[in-house]
Amino acid sequence: MLRQLRYSLEYHFVLRALTWLENHSFEECSERARRLARTWFAIDRKRRRISIGNVLKAGITSDEKRAEEIAREALENFALVAVESIKSRDIITKENWLTEVDVDMPDESMQLLKKEGQGVLLLSAHIGNWEVAARLLSFLKPVTGITRDAKNPRVNELMQRFKPSENFTLTPKHSVDSTRLLSVLKKGEVLALLIDQYAMSYGVRLPFFGHVTSVHKSPAMLHLVTRTPIVYGLCLRTAPMKFRVEVSEPLVFPATGNRANDIEKILLDLTARTEDAIRRYPEQYLWAHNRWR
Amino acid sequence: MTDQEILEKLREIMKTSSQEEVDWDVVVPDSTIDGLGFDSLSILDLTYDIQQEFQVEFEAEEMVKVATVKDMIEFLKAKSA
Repeated sequence: MLRQLRYSLEYHFVLRALTWLENHSFEECSERARRLARTWFAIDRKRRRISIGNVLKAGITSDEKRAEEIAREALENFALVAVESIKSRDIITKENWLTEVDVDMPDESMQLLKKEGQGVLLLSAHIGNWEVAARLLSFLKPVTGITRDAKNPRVNELMQRFKPSENFTLTPKHSVDSTRLLSVLKKGEVLALLIDQYAMSYGVRLPFFGHVTSVHKSPAMLHLVTRTPIVYGLCLRTAPMKFRVEVSEPLVFPATGNRANDIEKILLDLTARTEDAIRRYPEQYLWAHNRWR
Repeated sequence: MTDQEILEKLREIMKTSSQEEVDWDVVVPDSTIDGLGFDSLSILDLTYDIQQEFQVEFEAEEMVKVATVKDMIEFLKAKSA
């Protein structure tokens, strides 16, 4: 009974927030989101401590004041992700995205993403706006991403209604199995995975900014067993509602017969790309995640 | 390769890719893949090891759908033929 009441309150709160977003200008929404993020940063001491600690541990700066600034800006960025994901639908379209967005993508990767029947493993991190990135690439080929489900089923239903594009499918994290992921690749679609969060049991211990943590190995295994090419992509914010999409050349790593070495080689390469992006745009990274455990 | 030879080879491979402590001597054709400590993600490790050890070409998706050791033996025989 109490749970139903809570679910109903949450549902109406999220619905109101989404409706408010739809009915106000991007500038108003951004300002409100930034203010909410600053308030959240001031109130949530635990998350603030984790974020600042992560910035320092990664060696982005050794100055605590600067680390706090980066952590606060990063939380503002996180709030903007939701606003931009919804508002960009009216501004950046399938017709204009190649001129509206600064796209840095080698021809080989563009051809791969356009090639019918060709599966692609798109790997990225929680930097810039990963939701906008998935939507933009879904203009080229259907994209399936993995999402963490809210506990509230009514909120989940609502989020599905507000998802960014018809060509972008979200698979709940709890029901992810390899058959589902393999079938996306076999259908010749894009499987988009964010690879920078703490992996629990199905991970390998590798350094991230020089400190060992558990890294998801499923991207490497999917590549090795299906031979689907990897492209590493980022969508970075350069100004309000202005983005720069950076996509790597297609990456192909041979299977040598030494599974552990093959996995390590792939994950070290991908981690280095993530670290490089974070060093360039530290204020756009999701530092609030407890990566080192 | 006989069924028994394939089974022996599979036992050796599974030992290195299983997530659980299993008494590998009691693995028989009717043993289920789930029961040997392979979940929906670690089955990818086993797929890799089989692809490398048996040097056979197959879609990873086909392998993931195999339910028992016996099915796997049949699958590998068909792919090697």
